[in-house]
Amino acid sequence: MADRKLRKQILQAASACMALFGVLALYIVYLTTWAAEDLSSNPLNMRSAAARADIWRGTIYDASGTVLAETADDGTRRYPFGKMMAAVTGYNGENIGSTGVEGHANRALLGLTDDMQRMGPLAQLLQTGRGNDVRLTVDANAQKAAYEGLAGRRGAVVVLDAETGAVLAMVSTPAYDPNDIETNWKVLSKQADGALLNRCVQGLYPPGSTIKPMIADAALTEGATDEKEVFDCTGTLDVGGGHTIGESHGEVHGKVTLRDAVTESCNVTFGTLGMRLGDAKLKKAYERFGFAEGIGEDIVMEQSHLPDFGKLSNGDQAQVAIGQGTLLVTPMHMALLADAFANGGRIMKPYLVQQVVSPNGMVVSETQPSVWRTATSPEMAAIIDSYMERVVEKGTGRAAHVFGVRVTGKTGTAENPAGADHAWFIGSADLPKRKIVFAVLVENGGGGGTEAAPIARRIIESLA
Amino acid sequence: MRKWTLMLAPIGILIAGLMVLYLKAHPTIGAVRPELFLGLSYFPWLAAAILIAFFVQGVLIHRGMDHLIFPTVLLLASVGIVEIARLKPALLAPQLRWLCIAMVALLVVLRLDSCIKRALDYPYLLGIACVGLLGLPLLFGTEIGGSRNWLVLGPMSIQPSEFGKILIVLFLAAYLSDHRRVLTLPSRRILFLRLPPVRFIAPLICIWSMAVLMFVVERDLGSALLFFGIAVIMTYMATGSRSYAFIAIVFIAAAAAISYTAFGHVRVRFDIWLDPWQDPNGQAYQVVQSLFAFAAGGVWGTGFGFGHPGFIPEVHTDFIFSAIAEEMGLIAALMIMACYIMIFWRALQITLACSREREMLLGAGISVLNLMQAFIIIAGVTKFLPLTGITLPFVSYGGSSMLSGFILLGMLLSLSKEQKHG
Repeated sequence: MADRKLRKQILQAASACMALFGVLALYIVYLTTWAAEDLSSNPLNMRSAAARADIWRGTIYDASGTVLAETADDGTRRYPFGKMMAAVTGYNGENIGSTGVEGHANRALLGLTDDMQRMGPLAQLLQTGRGNDVRLTVDANAQKAAYEGLAGRRGAVVVLDAETGAVLAMVSTPAYDPNDIETNWKVLSKQADGALLNRCVQGLYPPGSTIKPMIADAALTEGATDEKEVFDCTGTLDVGGGHTIGESHGEVHGKVTLRDAVTESCNVTFGTLGMRLGDAKLKKAYERFGFAEGIGEDIVMEQSHLPDFGKLSNGDQAQVAIGQGTLLVTPMHMALLADAFANGGRIMKPYLVQQVVSPNGMVVSETQPSVWRTATSPEMAAIIDSYMERVVEKGTGRAAHVFGVRVTGKTGTAENPAGADHAWFIGSADLPKRKIVFAVLVENGGGGGTEAAPIARRIIESLA
Repeated sequence: MRKWTLMLAPIGILIAGLMVLYLKAHPTIGAVRPELFLGLSYFPWLAAAILIAFFVQGVLIHRGMDHLIFPTVLLLASVGIVEIARLKPALLAPQLRWLCIAMVALLVVLRLDSCIKRALDYPYLLGIACVGLLGLPLLFGTEIGGSRNWLVLGPMSIQPSEFGKILIVLFLAAYLSDHRRVLTLPSRRILFLRLPPVRFIAPLICIWSMAVLMFVVERDLGSALLFFGIAVIMTYMATGSRSYAFIAIVFIAAAAAISYTAFGHVRVRFDIWLDPWQDPNGQAYQVVQSLFAFAAGGVWGTGFGFGHPGFIPEVHTDFIFSAIAEEMGLIAALMIMACYIMIFWRALQITLACSREREMLLGAGISVLNLMQAFIIIAGVTKFLPLTGITLPFVSYGGSSMLSGFILLGMLLSLSKEQKHG
């Protein structure tokens, strides 16, 4: 029957159509699942960037609520302190990525959490149009004092809360201005050790005499000397092989105890101790104080460059004990060394982000202070701390003295192949509100006692 | 009661979707006040659309017609409206207005179904009218969006090809049912092909040529493909002859090859399809962005209102499927496709229940036309086939498309009444 034939033909054609439609559906399944990852990561795909641009990036505050970085109404990022805070805030640019807190706290500032991406539309329930605010540990006044103290010289300042490890100031100069970094990017990115380098955590310098408190600790701990031994400083130390180590400015300290040697920064005494300790014990000391390790998370600190322990000559051992030779450290690490003696032997883990606060004021996360490592015993720390106090009272660090405040310290004047000596000052100050530790470095600045210690004094006064 | 509950889905999507957009635009608490709601510019049209929709369903139930297809079509339309409201808020009121007009047109078609059936008695008149309508843009056409297939009449611009497809289905149904037996009469053999006398297949050749002409001159590749495809499939349905299908494929292949070598715009479309990554920021920008949209959506979508479909040019018309897939994911994309299949399946049931050949062919033609149009554009935006600009039936923004879709729907539903009586 014709009718039946027609029906059959209609059904045949219809089945073909539906089969084609089914193939198309399978193709779409493929497209949205298997092919999706490649397409999403395609550099031409602007969608993830657009999704981030949609979110109102949160504000960065200092410890007292001063704005350090905020998003303006036109969507641009403003940094009221500019260069002064650059080492803390870092920058955030569409084409140049982000560093500093902008980089570390990027996801918090955007209000993203880790497992949101896999949640599809449900993620929108958790996603707000405004990212979280970040409250830092930084004190804008201390930061200002440090930045102004450097007065345009190249250098770095790190100030920490001795008991918590909270970063109170972190300055690196020369600095870039995060407000217009994107336009200056080409010039900045070509400078080998320029403004983009955060000297506090990435700059490696010989520590010079600021390492002596640690050597004193090692010598006492290892029994290489005791507090009563008297060293005879003749101004030079023969380290064998025809080499000698001298005192700066040709000084002669005469008969000194370990305490006097720290106060006067006596190279002869510490060179002698370095040779007495030898490779293994020196290495042990450096490891005990964490110089073989870096730090991650919000403070990305490089590990130090340690000498090739095990192959050192007597001269090298003496050099390592006075912070010279191939030993290179970061200013942050020197502040942590100061913390070991100011905080009863325990080095606190440094951190910058105190709180992440949601737009409606809820605290999303709060950083709890933690001990990075126990470097030495409380008794030993107290001895070295008293030595360092005497440095500021009577020794090379008198320029850091602040009336009515107990300040400890150690100066350093580090020889280096780049030019004039680096001026160092590390130490602590017992302020009414809190105890702080600090490390000040002025690149090629000259004497630590005359160039770096006054900056420390300025910072202490700003926080007092 | 079950006949009415189907209406809940489209109305629910419509109201919920518009509410979401309203709340997104007014995030402050206390902004939802009845008087503000009534003051919305689209509110009268929304209310009218809902009322007319219920009225249409009432008519369908009352007259004993199919009451499943209309709510499904409405479901597609409401998804489209909600997405248009999110993409181009200014076009929400016009689209709601077009939906109202289209539903009224549907009622008119239901009322005039006997006239339409009578029109099937004059196949050649229908054919000439169709050619005339499609020829209009050649004479008076305006180019919009790269296709010279628009007629601008005062404030309105209409796409004659959208209405041409109604006429072509009517013509094919009338002509093929009249000449079925002649066309299947094997009077001549050329190689392995069995062909009837030339004068019988001449009208078919004419339709095919017209499709190619549109392809080339009006640059309306989508409509051309649609017309050609519907002609081939309806011919096969009527005759069951594979020779026609074969000839048709040879014909389109030759036409495609010639236009590929002769016309730049055809070549561009084809090259984009083969490799969109040659020129992802130029010619292939739209397709590449559409692919990114599908990838961004994944299985669950980014969430309604949270995607970035705005990267795709013309997203509210031809590329609306990409926007839906981005924001509502694979789930919604497959559900939309399932809706087309359900409409198709139900339309086939109506078709197969018809008693007269021409009505059967008419029903089959309308069913296939709808599915094929959806197929062509979905395949285009996913790079399954070369992209050809055409609307997604009932979903895309566009008055002509909505109106012609509902007129075809009306004709189909009229056939469903037939099955009750005879």
